[in-house]
Amino acid sequence: MKQAAANPDLSKFLVIGALLFIIGVAGVLTRRNIIVIFMSIELILNAANLNFIAFSRYLSGMGNSNALAGQIFTVFVIVVAAAEAAIGLGIVIALYRNKETIWVDEIDLLKW
Amino acid sequence: MTLSGYEALFFWIFGLSAIFAGLLTVMARNAVHSALFLISSLVSVAALFILARAEFIAGVQILVYVGGVMVLFLFVIMLVNVGAEERGSEEIFNNQRQVTASLIFCLLLVAGMLYSINTGYRGMQSRNTTTPDVVAAQESMRDQAHPASATGSSRITKDAENVGGSLYRYASLPFEIASVLLLVAIIGSVMLARTLKQEASADDADPGIAD
Repeated sequence: MKQAAANPDLSKFLVIGALLFIIGVAGVLTRRNIIVIFMSIELILNAANLNFIAFSRYLSGMGNSNALAGQIFTVFVIVVAAAEAAIGLGIVIALYRNKETIWVDEIDLLKW
Repeated sequence: MTLSGYEALFFWIFGLSAIFAGLLTVMARNAVHSALFLISSLVSVAALFILARAEFIAGVQILVYVGGVMVLFLFVIMLVNVGAEERGSEEIFNNQRQVTASLIFCLLLVAGMLYSINTGYRGMQSRNTTTPDVVAAQESMRDQAHPASATGSSRITKDAENVGGSLYRYASLPFEIASVLLLVAIIGSVMLARTLKQEASADDADPGIAD
């Protein structure tokens, strides 16, 4: 047990990624502020990035020639996250201009 | 892949800091506090990337994610959240059903994660034939083979070179598609954030044009 803690392996990286994912999902489901919900989504994407990088490192240690695919995919995840954050915050600004609120339970015009 | 020595120490420091900062992101009352905690979580994850020998991705994360996306978040918080501080303490969590649903979901995820880690760890341990210090010795030998930096105090790894080579050789089509995606995102966000007055003035054509 002490050696497992002193020499963290792939599984420790995955545990940290999974915990960040869980915290992000909890944030998306529970918060009222729409900007904090967006930040929790960024946490989720970051946890997925950590998983990719951990597996890329593990595979390169195993001698797999496709090990860099994890890092390349991480670049694309960061690109998509940046684009999604820009558009999402543009929507938030347009929503705020029309409805003067940032609480998600007050944005219920389409609710039946 | 086992880290040892100082790398293990820094792994625990940055790993726990990332989880703690993420937890505080979700639990902070103030949106600006949430943004600052998310920045510290992202920087801790970038440090974890460096420990996993993905230095280029760590640099991209700090430049793009922290320096671009989080600054954008802070700007938008500045624009839309000013009323929250004036109102004093407002309730930040949604109603009871949402909190219960998220707690159940998180417990399921925790259970699944513990089960999969335990099952997978036994499989990986049976495959590990080398001990951690042998692996550490191999990797330090490989580190010494890298060229030294200009100041002579550190080594330049080949990670950026490898990622760039693979990206431009085998992933050039997704790269171009990502560029088009960013272009569309720029156009879309400019269009979304226009005020009514700006949209109305766009219809005023040049007086010299007859239409």
